[in-house]
Amino acid sequence: MAQSNVNEKQINSTAQSDKEAQKTPGKTTETKQSTSKQLIVVVFILSLATKLYLLPIYLIQMTGRDAYIALSIEVAFDLIALGLLLAAIMLAGDKSFFELLEEVIGKVGAKIFVAFVALFLFFKLNISAAETSTFYSDNVFADFDAPFMIIVLLIFLGSVANHTLRSLCRINELMAPIVALGIVMLIAIVIATGFDFANIFPAMRNGLDFRRAMMRNAAWIGDFTPLVLFIGRTKTKKHTAVFAAASGTVGSAVVVFFGIVLCAAFGNIKNFADSCTNISNILQFSIGNVYGRIDLLSSILWSVSAFIETALFFYATCRCVEYVIGRNIHFWVGLSLCVILYFLQVFAMTDPTIFSTVASCIPTAVMTPVFAILIPALALISAIVVRKRDKKQSEQGSENEAEK
Amino acid sequence: MRITERRKLLIYKLLLFVFAFVLAFMPSTASRNLEVNSRVIVEMLGIDGADEIELTAQYVMPTDTPDATTKDKVTVKAKSITEAVEALNTALGRRAELGQCSVIVAGKDIKPDVLGTLMNATDVTANVYLTAASDKASDAVGDITEFMKKTGATEADFIAYSTKQAHVATVTILNFLSDLGSASKTAYMPIIEMIKEEGGSGGGQSGGGQSGGSDGQSGGGGSGEQKKEPVGMKVEKLALYNNDGRVGELESSAARGVAWISAPIENGVVVSKVKYKGDEYDVSARLLDKSVSIDVLPKKNRAVINLTATVQPNCDKFNVLEAKKDKKTKAAIKAGFSEAIKKEMKAAYEDSLALGLDPLFVGQQFYRFEPDFFEKGYELGNTKVVFNVNVLLK
Repeated sequence: MAQSNVNEKQINSTAQSDKEAQKTPGKTTETKQSTSKQLIVVVFILSLATKLYLLPIYLIQMTGRDAYIALSIEVAFDLIALGLLLAAIMLAGDKSFFELLEEVIGKVGAKIFVAFVALFLFFKLNISAAETSTFYSDNVFADFDAPFMIIVLLIFLGSVANHTLRSLCRINELMAPIVALGIVMLIAIVIATGFDFANIFPAMRNGLDFRRAMMRNAAWIGDFTPLVLFIGRTKTKKHTAVFAAASGTVGSAVVVFFGIVLCAAFGNIKNFADSCTNISNILQFSIGNVYGRIDLLSSILWSVSAFIETALFFYATCRCVEYVIGRNIHFWVGLSLCVILYFLQVFAMTDPTIFSTVASCIPTAVMTPVFAILIPALALISAIVVRKRDKKQSEQGSENEAEK
Repeated sequence: MRITERRKLLIYKLLLFVFAFVLAFMPSTASRNLEVNSRVIVEMLGIDGADEIELTAQYVMPTDTPDATTKDKVTVKAKSITEAVEALNTALGRRAELGQCSVIVAGKDIKPDVLGTLMNATDVTANVYLTAASDKASDAVGDITEFMKKTGATEADFIAYSTKQAHVATVTILNFLSDLGSASKTAYMPIIEMIKEEGGSGGGQSGGGQSGGSDGQSGGGGSGEQKKEPVGMKVEKLALYNNDGRVGELESSAARGVAWISAPIENGVVVSKVKYKGDEYDVSARLLDKSVSIDVLPKKNRAVINLTATVQPNCDKFNVLEAKKDKKTKAAIKAGFSEAIKKEMKAAYEDSLALGLDPLFVGQQFYRFEPDFFEKGYELGNTKVVFNVNVLLK
């Protein structure tokens, strides 16, 4: 009984500190909100999520059987960003991303930079939200009412904005086994099927198409960017970075594996790949299953990861906006972003032409990889600079004390 | 301030409740009849026609009796396959659920692009199995429906047996289109034939399409002729296709040759003539496992097809030979099976070569691993194909 009272007090004090922290933008008076395990799970989910939806199909449509190579390059790009972010998380100590930036480039510089980060995260949020609704409208529901169904997503996102990173990490932790189950089911079906993997050859016969595919599908780079919010808020252990990197690598390997399966299936007939094509519906009867759509069940399970990724992007966007305006008004920022997101999704992104134009235009092709690397790189540089400065100061402090 | 947080939480809870209420009782949800007996599930489709599409659907409809369904067929005609699917919905009076369709029967005169449209523009999944009718698909679907109604067999049984148990080269719509789009530009489908016997009088021939009407039922309006009733199915031949349509057929032996290379067969039966000390023995065996590889040698303009088959011989003739327990007997049995398999593979290659087609996908293998040679020097028929069969006895 006494033990339970102590636990209750601890929970209450943590919740209290969370709430206090929410009132001061950019300050980490709050306790660490993510455990090492939660970070590892978040990395796994972010590595999979939207890269399994439309990206392989868009790449196949443009570059045929070489799509898996293009996909591997994008995945490698993200893994580099992940490496930088994990290094920043490990070196930052208790300082948040915003605090690090303030100390290195000043408060005004930090606000300007974070404004761009917010824009980038909001762009990525739109891509993942549009992809999720496209997947459900084309593959799951016969009659998908997008304007109505997006409201379901927005209610979830609105609630995420009003909670702490801890809540999001817990949801993620709960959902991760479901996602993993869906992925394992699909991998088992693929292995039982015995795909003709040799159909991915010959490689790189049309360099022009490959380059065009790389340029026009850069919007999917930068999936690990929301991890900047984990800087200074994660209870790191000695091997946290190693396990998180391994988790990201395993997730990325799964993405490339499914990319190879789709290339083997559609390498000869790239024009037949469309938004209705996904890894599950090409496997429906492959193990002699004619009793139901177990493939659909498995794809719905792994599609949960896309909801979580969308939520992470939304949460990160909200916090960046709050930092820029200097006020922690979660409810109003969340509501405003929900309204903007609703109009963008319903009146623009659900139109395939507009979505395709936004995702594949030159500014997107240039800015997305730049931001995907620049944000983690600046976070890491800031963490190193601040760490060195703090070390120097503490050394000077101890010298002064010794002199006295 | 805490009250404000609580209020926000209350607002969210209220919003969620309102949303759930609206979702459950909104007009489109409330008016939708979710009863399973209001649905029509299409299990099999038959497609005929080049200029005008004739679509035959074998469908099941649940009845009021628990655990009972009715199985029937309907044929519709339209200018395109997408219009035909719409016409099918009209003919059945509700949306036909094509997502559960697991077999498509292709008529003799259909163009392959129809199958591409069917896969892309309708709910038919990419993994549906394809089979060819020797002539009209509507007749074949009619016969199969009759047979299934009579025996209680399902298309699930048919697929489960044909894909792995039988020595048949099965193919899905995705694989068919992929084969056709490959460097070999060749695809195949197993031909399904009905075994018929003289049955009861009356009825007339089953099958034959009537637009928008169900015509799968026998009986009524008897002409007095003897009706041949389907008593079984036979899948022995292969229909070969190029991008223009069906080019020809491979007979039993050649069709088996294709299955050795292309299909995931597991339990097919092999029969060989084993020569031993001047005598000839007919020995049968069951295939347990096989692995195939095609090596391409551009410098020699040659392809080597390597097949390793593990078989389990089992018959009285084999037992006679097995009793001798010497190396020469085993070598003779292996040579006998090797020769039998090689003969079927050669027949597949030569018969299809005569049609200008490549169902063993030798050309595709050159394209995959020697693309420069393929683009500059490969020509079907100019390449020497060597068959290397290794038999393992279990």
